[in-house]
Amino acid sequence: MNPTTDRRKMARKPLLPRPLLYAIELALFGFIAYNSLYIRKLSDIKAAGTAAAGAFQAPQYARSFWTSKLLPAAPGMATDLGTLLISLKTDKDKAFAAHSHAMGIGNIRYFLIKGEGTVTATSDNDVTVTLPTGEPIHLATEFVFGNAARDASGLINITEFDNTTDLNNVSAELNDIIRKQVIPGLKASAKPGTKLSFIGALELNQAHLHTNDLTVIPIRTAL
Amino acid sequence: MNSLLHLLQLTFRKVVPPPGALGLFCCIVLFSACHSASDSVNTPKKMAVIVSTLNNPWFVVLAESAAAEAKLLGYETKIFDSQNNTALEADHVENAIVSGFNAILLNPTDSDGSIVNVMKAKEAGLPVFCMDREVNASGAATAQILSDNYSGCVAIGEDFVKGLNKKGTYVEILGLVGDNNTWNRSKGFHSVVDRYPGLKMVAQQSADFDRNKAMDVLESMLQAHPDINAVFCGNDAMAMGAYQALVAAGKASDVGVYGFDGADDVMNSIRDRKIKATGMQSPQVMAQTAARYADAYIKGKRDFAQRVPVAVELVTQKNIADYLTLTRP
Repeated sequence: MNPTTDRRKMARKPLLPRPLLYAIELALFGFIAYNSLYIRKLSDIKAAGTAAAGAFQAPQYARSFWTSKLLPAAPGMATDLGTLLISLKTDKDKAFAAHSHAMGIGNIRYFLIKGEGTVTATSDNDVTVTLPTGEPIHLATEFVFGNAARDASGLINITEFDNTTDLNNVSAELNDIIRKQVIPGLKASAKPGTKLSFIGALELNQAHLHTNDLTVIPIRTAL
Repeated sequence: MNSLLHLLQLTFRKVVPPPGALGLFCCIVLFSACHSASDSVNTPKKMAVIVSTLNNPWFVVLAESAAAEAKLLGYETKIFDSQNNTALEADHVENAIVSGFNAILLNPTDSDGSIVNVMKAKEAGLPVFCMDREVNASGAATAQILSDNYSGCVAIGEDFVKGLNKKGTYVEILGLVGDNNTWNRSKGFHSVVDRYPGLKMVAQQSADFDRNKAMDVLESMLQAHPDINAVFCGNDAMAMGAYQALVAAGKASDVGVYGFDGADDVMNSIRDRKIKATGMQSPQVMAQTAARYADAYIKGKRDFAQRVPVAVELVTQKNIADYLTLTRP
């Protein structure tokens, strides 16, 4: 027998039986393929992205602002509406400079005000309260929109936000809190003739000021 | 070792000039330093005003207001017209960089396409203050001074709901679908109107902020929906086009038209009770604020809000008298 031929035959002989080798290769291929491809729902990824650390959560921010900042500070910070109306008639610009806030630039400014009076009318859209000075104002019960609740206190700093969508969402969430927590009680209790005290947010245009038909977004009311 | 020392001595003699020449050199350096310092004090600083287009009067007002305010603050200014072309805008930005401008007041051509141009200026150490239109990137521009389109349309939405007494059918004519302002306006409007199930939007279509296109769009909408009660348009040009279509269809008195911008022809139409309401923007305020912010930046201020909203005022048939005294005939 030729020893060289024997060595070649031995060299060609696989270390493992062929079926076992194929099975291992198949398992290895399956393992790599399985770990190379991930399929997840797009909606899950979007939701995870929104909830990721650092992503702004307007509902939480608004709830925290409402509970921890606005409600505790409002009674002390709010300007008496009767006094404000007199100041606006006496020196409009001084009154705006002293009492108004706005996160944006322009003529639209917001006041955090308080007052008391007698309910003289109710409608689908508002509760009319007549102040001790005889001036009627409206507490909104239907059209609770805009930035008054967000801006009136001046407690939110615009530099906290790097996009306007977050700002807008905070306004929407605060208005939603008012719709759910303030309006139902106000509508239920406000009957003509009842005495009412209120804290609210008031929007006024500094360049085109009208104080004869004021609508206030209510923040807190009490009989 | 000795030869090495000799070589060093020779080299030293070659490099070091005699004492007289050294004194002259110091004088020249000192003089040129003083000269360049006095140059930087005496030479006026410069602001570049780069606007998307000067074919639209709105942007002409924006550019001229920004330049005028910058001049008032003591700056040289130059207005560049990007002709709605981001490549041309890139050329203007490069020009501003190499020409030694100190700040750019930019009305971006494209919310996404202009980001690279803003970044180029930023990398060159040039602050950019965006006016009216935003770029979709935080931290690229130093600040962006923008119309509060969303809140303006919240106010319009509220007036719309009150005007229709919370029920009816309406159509919406959108602006350019790729423009952020289009969607901010639409979202603000719908954030109010969609809360009222009695109000049904039966059609929504883009007319690219164009008056003639809006007329065509509403004409075809009216064929499918002849009984609508109102039209909400993303700008005043489209509101005027929509009104023309309603006049042609004999429905001008039956359908309320709402616009956005505060353009003269719409303000006059509100006065004449042809159009219901608009949201009045203020290009002057945006431009002046951008120039003042740039001035503050040059003087050392660094803490700017990324986006600064400029209030949009609701103008209706009820308060139009407040605004007609400004410019209208």
